[in-house]
Amino acid sequence: MRPDSTSDLAVTVADPSSPPRREQVLARRAPISLVAASVVTAMVFAIPFGYLVVRNLSADAALLSAVASRQTLDPLIRTLWLAISVSLTATLIGTLLAWITMRTDLPGRTFWRIACPLPLVLPSFVAGAAMLAAYAPGGLLEQLLSPFGVSGLPRIDGYPGAFMVLTSITYPYVYLPVAARLASLPPSLEEAARLLGHRPIPTFRRVVWPQLLPASRAGGLLTFLYVVSDFGVVQLMGFQTLTTRIFTTRLVDTSLSFALGLVLAIVALVIVMSERLASRDVAIAAGEPARRPVVIPLGRWRPAALLALIGSVGIGLIAPVIVLSWWAYRGLVNEAAGFASTEGMTALIEPTWNTVSVSVAAAVVSVALVLPVAFLTARYRSPFAGPLNAVVVAGFALPGLVIALSMVFMALRVPALSALYQTLPLLLLAYVIHFGAQAYRSAQVGVGAVDERLGEAARTLGAGRLRRLWRVELPLMLPPLAAGGGLVMLSTMKELPATLLAAPLGFDTLATRIWTANEGGFLADAGMASLVLIAVSALLTWLLVIRRADHLR
Amino acid sequence: MRPKFHMQYPLRTIIHTASMFTVLTAAALFIACGERDDETLTIYSGRSEDLIAPLLDRFAEETDTKVQVRYADSVELALLIREEGEQSPTDVFISQSPGPIAFLAELRLLRALSEDVLDLAPHSDGRQWVAITGRQRVLVYNRDQIAADDLPASIFELTEPQWEGRIGFAPSNGSFQDFVTLFRMDHGDDMALDWLQGLVANGAQTYGNNNAIVQAVARSEIDAGLVNHYYNERLKVENPNTPSANHRFADGDPGAVMIATAASALSSGDQELAEQFIRFLLEAESQRYFAEETLEYPLAAGVKPAAGIEAPATIDFGTFDALGGGLERTLELIREAGLDI
Repeated sequence: MRPDSTSDLAVTVADPSSPPRREQVLARRAPISLVAASVVTAMVFAIPFGYLVVRNLSADAALLSAVASRQTLDPLIRTLWLAISVSLTATLIGTLLAWITMRTDLPGRTFWRIACPLPLVLPSFVAGAAMLAAYAPGGLLEQLLSPFGVSGLPRIDGYPGAFMVLTSITYPYVYLPVAARLASLPPSLEEAARLLGHRPIPTFRRVVWPQLLPASRAGGLLTFLYVVSDFGVVQLMGFQTLTTRIFTTRLVDTSLSFALGLVLAIVALVIVMSERLASRDVAIAAGEPARRPVVIPLGRWRPAALLALIGSVGIGLIAPVIVLSWWAYRGLVNEAAGFASTEGMTALIEPTWNTVSVSVAAAVVSVALVLPVAFLTARYRSPFAGPLNAVVVAGFALPGLVIALSMVFMALRVPALSALYQTLPLLLLAYVIHFGAQAYRSAQVGVGAVDERLGEAARTLGAGRLRRLWRVELPLMLPPLAAGGGLVMLSTMKELPATLLAAPLGFDTLATRIWTANEGGFLADAGMASLVLIAVSALLTWLLVIRRADHLR
Repeated sequence: MRPKFHMQYPLRTIIHTASMFTVLTAAALFIACGERDDETLTIYSGRSEDLIAPLLDRFAEETDTKVQVRYADSVELALLIREEGEQSPTDVFISQSPGPIAFLAELRLLRALSEDVLDLAPHSDGRQWVAITGRQRVLVYNRDQIAADDLPASIFELTEPQWEGRIGFAPSNGSFQDFVTLFRMDHGDDMALDWLQGLVANGAQTYGNNNAIVQAVARSEIDAGLVNHYYNERLKVENPNTPSANHRFADGDPGAVMIATAASALSSGDQELAEQFIRFLLEAESQRYFAEETLEYPLAAGVKPAAGIEAPATIDFGTFDALGGGLERTLELIREAGLDI
């Protein structure tokens, strides 16, 4: 915690005109009910960690030898290197794209606002396979460029391949929270800076960027954890990380596999805790968001900005969409290939509906569940804050397989829960535990950005706690909450391991359809289902995330 | 619309209401999902839906049984069954290779199959599983890059200079590992290690899985690759113009082994129903489905492979039961050869 956090309390209190400093806020004790609700939430999030501990205790003591061996250290170092490089790059790209789409006069901004988050919805293995088909030697790009004498593109594999694919599908973890923050940022700051004669770039660096930092850092951490948990891309690219090691050993040496799982969990917890400790508090500017947003004319920068967007969205979304369309098209023209064991498109209706309902439900439940923890950790001083934060966030780094098995383990051993085995509530719980971190980090940014004096004012007017939350704070927090919920929604839409293992029997989603088709080499089916997934997620992102955020502007 | 809250609405009441609501919803869903009548066959299938669903529909119709399936990766299904233990709702486990089944057999979660089922097709000595189809290890090659006359008769040729940098393989893939296990069993660890090291020294390229290799061969990224025959047969259906083709190694070569996809019965499940279903999979009509629709090697009822799929003189499954226990040593060998998996 921060031992010196009360030292300058007197100064800030003495100057009522300054915005409330976080130190001052953190000095207050949290209400017991909030602590209780947060602890219950955290216990739910702790289930997979508890499962890993139990599995390691019951196995022979493989943990120590597992940690010490080179077979663990090498992949661990590679995992960290990949995760750090991808998350830094994704933070840069995500923040830049958010600023361009939210603050400039770039043409077609609505289109870009919907397109930018979409690469997130592609399951790793589809994104990987589609990008190989697009950029690898002999692929789409080389065929397009061959008339210009371009040939001999390098093979895409190993670290560069994993880096490229992961960066282009994870930058939305940064993009969405940062765009949401920009939407709720009071324009007075930027206007003041410009009135004082700052040009756009210095204004961004000195005024806007510090305000975006919490959101952008939150997204960066999510990206980091996603890369740590990823299996699909690194497996396809032959880049051996801790996750691939867990997967190679999971059958031949189950206890080593669980030991490695625990190592991964501990690494994630340590990273999340150090990120919290290392975070410097910024004075968050709070206030009424603008009715009319600031628009910065791009001028001669317009082509560069457009190029940045086309480049990022092009690599992560447009090229894969072209490849997937090509696969689907072959299926449409060639009856033997297309939609073989299914009745064509109608077979996708039920999975589509299932996908939409579980992902929206997972988003709503996640946001509701993590909100108390977000309030506790962002606003109050509590000895629980650090551990709670770590448990909720680090679950995102665990492979989906671990989450799924922990659900099975719990459901079959807790008598009251065994009735829930292989039912939707349990699947939903798995999603919430796995992806709650995404809603939580955005919610935290949201809570931090709400001016507490508004709540105080409402209290003096006699509003109760819930009324204040409902009427004053939630509306102000809506953009970040919608962004966080949006991330959970998009992640759930593509989730595979937990869906495959913990869903009710016969419960198909679009992601499981894509997986099963891809496994059997049914490329036309996989392509068509992927396109439907992208279309549905675009629609939902627009309806539930973009419009929510724009609504306030 | 203005939401109305009583000013002093205590948070506790809200929490109580919310938890009551949750419990009720859960209860309702449980009642909705929890029913299970006795004539239900539950299958965990490592074979993907596109390669078995029509058979399941036919079985349900013919026998008036309700069939419910969970499709996932064979290895992950085995881990799931391990976690479920005796509480597993599963009657039948279908695996893409014998490894995951051997894993469950070691945990004593499988039921020995009756003789009359085992007699129908190749099966494990331990009676835990019976093979339902075969997938042959082949060399997939690009016809524009390699002339048919230059194709190798044996995998041992692949370590020679003329193949330098031209071969792709998938060391982390289950079917490649199964092939190495059978190779070890038939020719010894030393020879297998020599071959693996020779392959690496010859600049062979590693890939993530069979599909990735076939795709890479099709777009001429590499000239040839070691895969299961199924994937290129499937690609030919998707894209009849693909320049990729399968090449079988000579009969008896370690590279020409067959990998079985297999079915087993769970000890927690209904044995009679499970065996009825496995017998159904081995009937002529089902085997014809596997031959014609999924383009695999049929293994029972005298059914022949589909036209255009070259049949080996004898189907060589190698040493069946090795595919369970031998995997650990295989992974060690692959690592010893300098491959990072």
